[in-house]
Amino acid sequence: MVLTIVSCIFFPKILVAQQDSIRLDLVIVRGFVPEKFMSGLKIQKIDSATLNQFRFQNISDLLSLNTPIAFKNYGPGQLNTASFRGTSANHTAVLWNGLNINSPILGQTDFSTIPVAGFDELSVQYGSAASIVGSDAVGGSILLGSVPTKQTLNVMFGRQQESFHNYQTQFTARYASSLSDKWNFSGKTSVYDGQMNNDFPYAERKQYTMLPSNSFQRGLVQDLFFNSKNDHQISAHVWLTRNRLTLTPDDKAGRELTLTEAYRTMLRYNYKLLTFRTSWVRDIIDYARGDYSQLDHAVTDKFSNRVERDFEFKHLQIKAGGEITHYRAQVAGYDAGLLTENRGDLFLLSRLQATSRLVISANLRQAFVTGYNPPFTPSLGVEYFLIQKSDQFLKLKGSYGRSYRVPTLNERYWKEMGNPDIRPESGWNKEIGLEQSAVLTNNHSISASLTAYHNRVKDWTYWNPSKAYHVENLQQVLARGVEVQSGWKYQIAAWKAGANVSYALSKSSQEKAYDAYSADIIGKQLVFVPIHSGNVNAFVQYKNARLTGQVQTISKRYSTFDNSQFLDGYTLSNLLAEYTFVSSIIKMRFQGQINNLANTFYLNVRNNAMPGRSFALSLILSYNSPPTAE
Amino acid sequence: MKKQLSRLAAFTALSFFAWSCNQSDPAPKGDYIQGVFVVNEGNFSQNNGAISFFTREQTTAQTDIYAAANGTALKGGVQGYVAAGDIGILLVDNSAAGLDKVEIVNSNTFKTTASIGTPDIENPREVVFGPNNKAYVSCWGTNADYSYKTGYIAVIDLISNKVIKKIDIASGPENLVFNNGKLFVGTYSFGGGKTLTVINTSTDAVDKSLTFTSVPTPIGIDANGKLWVNDGIQAIKINPDTYVSEAALTMGADATKSARNFAFSADRKTIFFVLSYDDANYVSHGETYKFGVNDAQINVTTPFIKRLFSGLAVDPSQGLLYAGVTPSYAQAGYAVRYRADGTLVDSVKVNVAPTGFFFK
Repeated sequence: MVLTIVSCIFFPKILVAQQDSIRLDLVIVRGFVPEKFMSGLKIQKIDSATLNQFRFQNISDLLSLNTPIAFKNYGPGQLNTASFRGTSANHTAVLWNGLNINSPILGQTDFSTIPVAGFDELSVQYGSAASIVGSDAVGGSILLGSVPTKQTLNVMFGRQQESFHNYQTQFTARYASSLSDKWNFSGKTSVYDGQMNNDFPYAERKQYTMLPSNSFQRGLVQDLFFNSKNDHQISAHVWLTRNRLTLTPDDKAGRELTLTEAYRTMLRYNYKLLTFRTSWVRDIIDYARGDYSQLDHAVTDKFSNRVERDFEFKHLQIKAGGEITHYRAQVAGYDAGLLTENRGDLFLLSRLQATSRLVISANLRQAFVTGYNPPFTPSLGVEYFLIQKSDQFLKLKGSYGRSYRVPTLNERYWKEMGNPDIRPESGWNKEIGLEQSAVLTNNHSISASLTAYHNRVKDWTYWNPSKAYHVENLQQVLARGVEVQSGWKYQIAAWKAGANVSYALSKSSQEKAYDAYSADIIGKQLVFVPIHSGNVNAFVQYKNARLTGQVQTISKRYSTFDNSQFLDGYTLSNLLAEYTFVSSIIKMRFQGQINNLANTFYLNVRNNAMPGRSFALSLILSYNSPPTAE
Repeated sequence: MKKQLSRLAAFTALSFFAWSCNQSDPAPKGDYIQGVFVVNEGNFSQNNGAISFFTREQTTAQTDIYAAANGTALKGGVQGYVAAGDIGILLVDNSAAGLDKVEIVNSNTFKTTASIGTPDIENPREVVFGPNNKAYVSCWGTNADYSYKTGYIAVIDLISNKVIKKIDIASGPENLVFNNGKLFVGTYSFGGGKTLTVINTSTDAVDKSLTFTSVPTPIGIDANGKLWVNDGIQAIKINPDTYVSEAALTMGADATKSARNFAFSADRKTIFFVLSYDDANYVSHGETYKFGVNDAQINVTTPFIKRLFSGLAVDPSQGLLYAGVTPSYAQAGYAVRYRADGTLVDSVKVNVAPTGFFFK
């Protein structure tokens, strides 16, 4: 019972949950991200049905239809950065199995390089969680994770054909077996290949150019889990990605190549309450224009070692730990040759179950960076059940915490424009929210949440366009907003239906004057952050056939800091139909998808047109070994 | 009733008058017949350049008249605008390859009449009208590696609206001055070229190359018919027929400062310019100075206006100096007006990065 309640608290699945599709793993692996210390913060777990629907798409497609995260997209398959709760692209931490995989030189993730096929589970954590996650977690965090399988053998092959000669191919094998009396083993090997030729049948839409581009994406994921009966757990994770983007590929003199590669590896060892993690991540970016014989080459290596120890008392849980990270960077744009740097982190996380209705989390972190020590980072989170019954709950929660961001390597070392004296950003995030879930009858259940936040970030770095883009701690930004989400689910006999509606208001503006003309900027909405955004997802399912509608709407986005120019708001809708044939060992899923159903015209941040209506057909074939007696 | 009738009569008479005016008056029609056109370069990566417009009496501008007239933006940075008669020529530079263009518009309505794209036009820089319904556009070419080796002058025939010839110019052709059958072509400072190319506009072939000590920028022809060329920290007066240098005036002794944004007064007897430098913190500083075309030296101790501008031009009909202010490439700039004595008139908010003006 306690476990059930606790898991409810940890994972508010109600927001998006499809109960039928939640994986209930028997092998309990200690979470990669200590979500249980995030009480008071909002966490949205994306259910596996949604992940499956998007498995041939990009993570930004999924997030923009299911969360209020706004994306700044340069075009199909091109650079795509996130603005979470009115913050900049540098303010969203992306964690892969608990490790921040934002590029150390850019301090952000290009979401066009992350396909949904690259991970098993996805949670979105709203608001600052820097005391738990560390640097970059200012607007929120995106948590990608690997999940061990319990199936002896599952082999999956998938293929999607899309409009514009775009293709996706995937292969995944999951396997598990017992190695000895003591040791169990499970693993996953997955490869994916995306060929986006973007052969649009039109050169422009409404006189706006469709910029020719193509992108080719490849990746390999390897997870291995070893579990012993006497509480030893070892896991190894590898994720290799390669993304080759070419703009105007047919123009030999003017074509522009961006080749992004990442080698992500991790080894984790856990014994009872003690966990060690070691990881190595290499990020490579190659860029060239016209002549590809000389590429602008940037390589960064990040070696990280982390140790943490849990302490468990009757009502109190504590996690204490530390992390030390070594960076090596060789970047064509830096004056210095090879750059090396060490960073350290110490943290103490706690969670107190004060009463059956009240949970309090207090977390402390201090990061150390040579010459750039970020501020001491505390946070306090509280959750209180106003109603706690078997068929419903109403929870009040709040959080107050500090956030920080260590300047990126580019901000410090990029020749001429970088600034070695730049300071870390520092912010305070406050939020309060209500969360409700109720089973109305045996057939209906509803869920709702309401959150308001106020996040002020000081020393916000700015590549100052009035100083030849020299980077400075120029801005002080206040982001505040309200998020409303509600869901409904219905199930009777072979019928299922559900809907989720969400709306976000985000006001994010510069507060401080810094030159004679900044008066035109103060109080104005930050660029490319829509004030209003919303989405609707609804499905109806009969046996193995499912029809899903997805709608995303965003208000206009300003493109200049004084709000004198803007891109119009737009609404996009998609329609998906799927059918799954199921036999005892074989599953076949057909999915047909119409993207941009209404053929909406909209622009990307380059002022080029985005594609109109398009179609995709996919087939997933999967083989499951016959269930063995347990 | 009678009142109504008389009103009706008056209205009819007025309409007839208006109609007859219309009939007898061949004056151009459009919203942009007289006024100030501001070239807003825009922020390169955002492709958001625009032409702003205001009449001389107005203090607020229409910030993007091309979009207003055509229902679609220019989709690129704007590098230049000139007009003669009904023909207006816009240079559009997109951040992606293959999307640059010359847009030819009706100068009174700003509706587009023709568009010339790549490969004829690649990285256009400046445009001037020449003789025989021709226009000349300096282009860097594809210049993918920024070595400025692919430049040329595109010769546009304004009857067919086609590029009829490309004249190769190395080192990044930039500023153009047309005078009496000759086109003077300067180069871009990062292009490194030290020659001023003279093109014979009846043959559209290179006639002569004049060598300078630094990167030459042709400024224009003064009231005495002399060509002025900026050569590094000097302003040089040249006889445009014999190419003999008649004067070399030094714009101060500080070689770290660079002179730019040259503009002639309405009587073409005074040249205004901005002398600027970037400090160690990448902040641009500068002032605006002036000198007479018959002066023996340039006074750079007392600025004409103690400000830095991103563009300068003098309205030939009123004589006011128009100066562009670019607070940054990420917000709208201003057109600031000054009288001939350097006193401020007013300022008009325009669009992103105002760098040039055209008066009609």
